[in-house]
Amino acid sequence: MHYYSFMRILLVEDEHDIRSFLLRSLDEAGYQVDAAPDGKAAEALAQENLYDALIVDLGLPDQDGFSLIQRLREIGVKAPVLILSARRTVDDRVRGLEQGGDDYLTKPFALAELLARLRNLLKRNGPPDTEASRLRVLDLELDLLRREAKRSGQVLQLTPQEFVLLEFLCRSAGRVVTRSMILDKVWGMRIQPDTNVVDVHIYRLRGKVDGPGQQPLIRTLRGVGYVLKDR
Amino acid sequence: MSSKTDSTVLHSAAWRISLWATLAFACGTMLVFVALHQFVAGDIQRRSDAWLSGEVEVLGDVAEHTPKDALYDAVVGEVAELASKEVPNKLRSESARNDSVFFLQTGKDGSLKLWVGEGVGVLRLKAILRTQILPDRPSDLHVEGVEIPFRVATMRTGDGSSIYLGLSERDELRVLGNLRARFILLWVLLVLLGFAIVFYTTWKMLSLVRQISEAASRIGHSDLMARVPTTERNDEVGHLARTINKMLDRIEISMHQLHTITDSLAHDLRSPLTAIRGKLEMSLSVAVHGEQAEPIVSAIEEVDRLTEFLNTSLDVAEAKADALRLSRSEIDLEELLRIMIDLYEPSMSEKGISIELRSSGPVRIDADAGLIHRMVANLFDNEIKHLPPGSRTTVHLQMDSPAALLTIEDDGPGFAPDVLPHLFERRVKGKESKGHGLGLAFVDAVTHAHWGTVEAWNRKGGGAAITVTLPLCAQHR
Repeated sequence: MHYYSFMRILLVEDEHDIRSFLLRSLDEAGYQVDAAPDGKAAEALAQENLYDALIVDLGLPDQDGFSLIQRLREIGVKAPVLILSARRTVDDRVRGLEQGGDDYLTKPFALAELLARLRNLLKRNGPPDTEASRLRVLDLELDLLRREAKRSGQVLQLTPQEFVLLEFLCRSAGRVVTRSMILDKVWGMRIQPDTNVVDVHIYRLRGKVDGPGQQPLIRTLRGVGYVLKDR
Repeated sequence: MSSKTDSTVLHSAAWRISLWATLAFACGTMLVFVALHQFVAGDIQRRSDAWLSGEVEVLGDVAEHTPKDALYDAVVGEVAELASKEVPNKLRSESARNDSVFFLQTGKDGSLKLWVGEGVGVLRLKAILRTQILPDRPSDLHVEGVEIPFRVATMRTGDGSSIYLGLSERDELRVLGNLRARFILLWVLLVLLGFAIVFYTTWKMLSLVRQISEAASRIGHSDLMARVPTTERNDEVGHLARTINKMLDRIEISMHQLHTITDSLAHDLRSPLTAIRGKLEMSLSVAVHGEQAEPIVSAIEEVDRLTEFLNTSLDVAEAKADALRLSRSEIDLEELLRIMIDLYEPSMSEKGISIELRSSGPVRIDADAGLIHRMVANLFDNEIKHLPPGSRTTVHLQMDSPAALLTIEDDGPGFAPDVLPHLFERRVKGKESKGHGLGLAFVDAVTHAHWGTVEAWNRKGGGAAITVTLPLCAQHR
């Protein structure tokens, strides 16, 4: 099930509180994690071990996160980086790294989102997914070419937008997705609406996917997000 | 392109300065030429008058002392003829005969006694009698049928007869005419040359000023590193450029300080928020049972609201100081609005509010997509929060070169009159509003960071309207 359970992660974060809860939750998610409180320790660890991914906070006490990433690249570390930034605006340098295959998250973040982005980074670096034309989660079936969704053989009447939303939920089946992840992946924007815009889309979709008498597939985790059940 | 250059030249200060300078120069040189002309004309007149007075005296002498016999006419006539050959300023006459000088003698009774010259003597005499010429003071004589006036001197001889010697002013006028023609040609050339020199120097000088202002206008919200071009010259323009650059140095330093303060404030608040949120989330995954989860969930939501408030208030603070960092790209506002309406339509219709986009086609603007997304989200959130069920919202998008006009109007209760004048200020909100009062301040901040404007009013038929004006992409203006 957890094909990434042997994945090794290097976490570089100076704040003790953040480091400890990240260590715990990454460990619970099945990763093998080494943590470094500053750039120097991170460099030492990276020279000794081979990591599959790096989580780097930009505001380190001894050096700038960017220069650390550059140093690590110079000594041959090719693993993708998930940048944690406490800065408000997304720097052009972050955009540059993003284009180079890395990703970023601004603090504070939802754990679910951190795990999802980390998973994406690892997948990108791993063996390429054979691009399936069909997705299947329990009795839910999506034909990506014909843009058609079926539940127990019954065709669901979805709008194109609802199909994209359901496709995203299916691809992350069994894992939590947050509202901001949905806004980012389905609508392509990083905003924090003051109103329940995403919830209403989910309610509507749920009304079509989970018919009366059927097992509800889309679950709401309050304060966290949503999850599409896969078992 | 060329007509555009023409109009910039015609509207330039260099053009106006050269026009005024040339006008003053032309008037001055014209005055000098007029004075010179007067002097030359007077001098020529004096010289011909002196000749006339001298000759008429000689002729009077000859006429007085020549015996009044049959040869008298021939002798005096011959002398007069000889005198005419020594005319000053003489030019070669077109006709064989000498028509520039005449000699006329009258008897005591005023009858014509002797006439030497071209034309009819009696007519000339009539004109002379009409004019009343005084001795020793040559004066002008206009003869009927002859275009050019004569200068005539007279003297009375001892035997009571009068002698008149006339000299045509033709040659004098021709000399003056030539002089004038050359003067005018020279004057025109001088004026043109003067204009060219003044225009060239002021244009060159002012083009430096233009370069400075162009460079200064490029230095803006996102690019404070650039500086205006400086010259080695130590004049006013060079001084201006150096002063502007020093001012920019100071602005950049204070802007940098502001960024450092807001960044460190954001960092100092965000790190504990991250830790709090993470711990809450972890305890939520342990305490999954409904009742226990409830306070944790609401705490997470509070943390998210606090984070959003922190972000927005720092953005508004930076924008008020004109220091918001933009990452611009070309975006189609129409497409952006369609996607946002698509996102918001379900929650609006859930509240019984309809939304509709009226647009005449793509509208391209050069903007920070992330900020525009958040700005539109703020406007739509506002509609959801303040409209009663059954209301209609219409989004109008149009191009009004050089700007894009985005108007959001509804038929709801409108803005409260006491709130309306302060709508875009921080922490201003309606009595029933549950928001943090930063939504519209953020809209205002984002539009100003993009060099746009925002306006709000109550519609005549009832309802509120907000218009956001954003500059179009340069090539679509």
